[in-house]
Amino acid sequence: MASLYNAWGPILDLYLLQLGFAFSQYLVLRAGVFSLATAALAAIGAYTAGILAVKHGVHPALGILAGTGMGTAAALVLSWPLARLRGVYQAIATLAFVQIVLSLNIWAEGLTGGAMGLMNIPRVVGTPGLLAAAVAVTYIIWAIGRTRIGRTFDVIRENEAVAVSLGVSVPRWQALAFALSGAIAGLFGALEAFHSYALDPNIFGFSFLIATLSYVVFGGRKSVLGPLVGTAVLILLPELARPLAENRVLVYGLLLILVINFLPRGVADTLLDAWHRRRLARRSAAAAEALR
Amino acid sequence: MIAQQLLNGIVVGGVYALFALGFNLVFGIQRILNLAHGAVFMAGAFTAWYTVVNGGPLWLGFLLAMALSGCLSVLIELVCFRRLRRTGDEEFGAIISSIGASLVIMTIAQRISGTRIVRFPFDTFPIQIYQVAGLRISLLQLFMAAAAFALVVVMAWFVYRTPWGRRIRAVTENARAAMLTGVNPNAVYRQTYFMAGALAGAAGVLVGLAFNSIHYMMGEPYLLFGFVIIILGGLGSIPGALLAALLFGMMQTLTIAFLPTGLTNAVIFLGLFLILLLRPHGLLGREEAGQLRGRR
Repeated sequence: MASLYNAWGPILDLYLLQLGFAFSQYLVLRAGVFSLATAALAAIGAYTAGILAVKHGVHPALGILAGTGMGTAAALVLSWPLARLRGVYQAIATLAFVQIVLSLNIWAEGLTGGAMGLMNIPRVVGTPGLLAAAVAVTYIIWAIGRTRIGRTFDVIRENEAVAVSLGVSVPRWQALAFALSGAIAGLFGALEAFHSYALDPNIFGFSFLIATLSYVVFGGRKSVLGPLVGTAVLILLPELARPLAENRVLVYGLLLILVINFLPRGVADTLLDAWHRRRLARRSAAAAEALR
Repeated sequence: MIAQQLLNGIVVGGVYALFALGFNLVFGIQRILNLAHGAVFMAGAFTAWYTVVNGGPLWLGFLLAMALSGCLSVLIELVCFRRLRRTGDEEFGAIISSIGASLVIMTIAQRISGTRIVRFPFDTFPIQIYQVAGLRISLLQLFMAAAAFALVVVMAWFVYRTPWGRRIRAVTENARAAMLTGVNPNAVYRQTYFMAGALAGAAGVLVGLAFNSIHYMMGEPYLLFGFVIIILGGLGSIPGALLAALLFGMMQTLTIAFLPTGLTNAVIFLGLFLILLLRPHGLLGREEAGQLRGRR
């Protein structure tokens, strides 16, 4: 058991952290906002927590709280101008926001340690802490999804005109999605800070953003299972493909193309849909049988 | 000093325009963000380098690069997007499959180059610097500007003045209606992707010559610039992309010259953010970005 943990522990930790970021991305997509801001919000949370701990000796618990708060606040501020934009335009505006945060992190050397990174952050968060946070966030998102909030998000995503005609204030609901997404990104950013000793601004760059987005799209954008499955597959694949050595990335790329071609709505969503359809067909067949 | 930087900016902007125009054509016609476009650009630079190193002349390398990048781009469309388009989930699915394609192409290039930065031989392009009215301009810069200009003119002529171009514009406007008039959209997609890839390949060679450093990751920053330029100019608008590319090139050289390093990107992207807020559909975009429409 101990040796199993030693081999797979770091991957489990990585999975739990990335799962948090994937959920942050999932929430905005679910509410019909094509935002890529998760990377920047995670950076804000991580740096808030890290700077408070290193420069001011603040207790980590308070640091995590502050990181979550800063992530939420930044997301709320960002949601106000973004309400003017739609679709790809939102994606690019938030991409610009990610670049701004990234380069300010590199520029403000006195505060953030610049390109060298922020060192000597106490490592106080282990696997149990990450697991607790991931389970809590998964539960909250699942629970929210089954209430009015989740249904409103779904209506906005599927058809904004219908949502407006039903009396839904789109900017307000999307601001809520943004705030939740920012809180999760800030929380997991802060956890990452307290998990890894050091922060480097480039962690939260273009590749972070692409990775988070692909976890959600690969798994599925509608059901809560999507990010869970997508993150698991995309993190495990490179590990399982280790024997392929230098062909690893090649195989990974080919698999991405293949899987999305045949399961276009993401692994979890496409399979769930197929299962629902089959159950419906079986039920209607049974009903027809009973009528005869 | 400012005039000199503006001149440099126009040259750089011309190369950005080549890259962004192809990106824009593809987005305009299929509403797909092709994240493998940066890898196609890189493949072009590598093709030209390979030709020159093996004793071929530069012009041959340039043509081969355009041809190979064009074919590569068509291949990406066939393998990554064609099936997805039929399912109707291409808006997000294409992001994943084009990431996959770009990983594959980058790994192959990494293997060929042995993860090294490769350079053109010293005398590939004659080094000659002219002084005009106090401005310094090199022969290479002149060549870059001329090549970019010529390619943009040829592309604009093709799109706006030929039957093929009319078909491309028809499919961009409405693929189904174009089909009713006897246009085969798949053939049009092939032509569009070939053109986009060839332009990216040409941009790759020019960038490879200008900075004389070719490596398998070189496409990534250009992908980001390409995004910015097509949005800034307005999606699907060719004159908009051209204007945005030149503006972006000048903004970049000016901020690099006059601002502390590190603050460059912050200022550029803040500018982009503000422009988007004032003009939510880009500088010359027609499409109403704030429109209410059903999305999957």
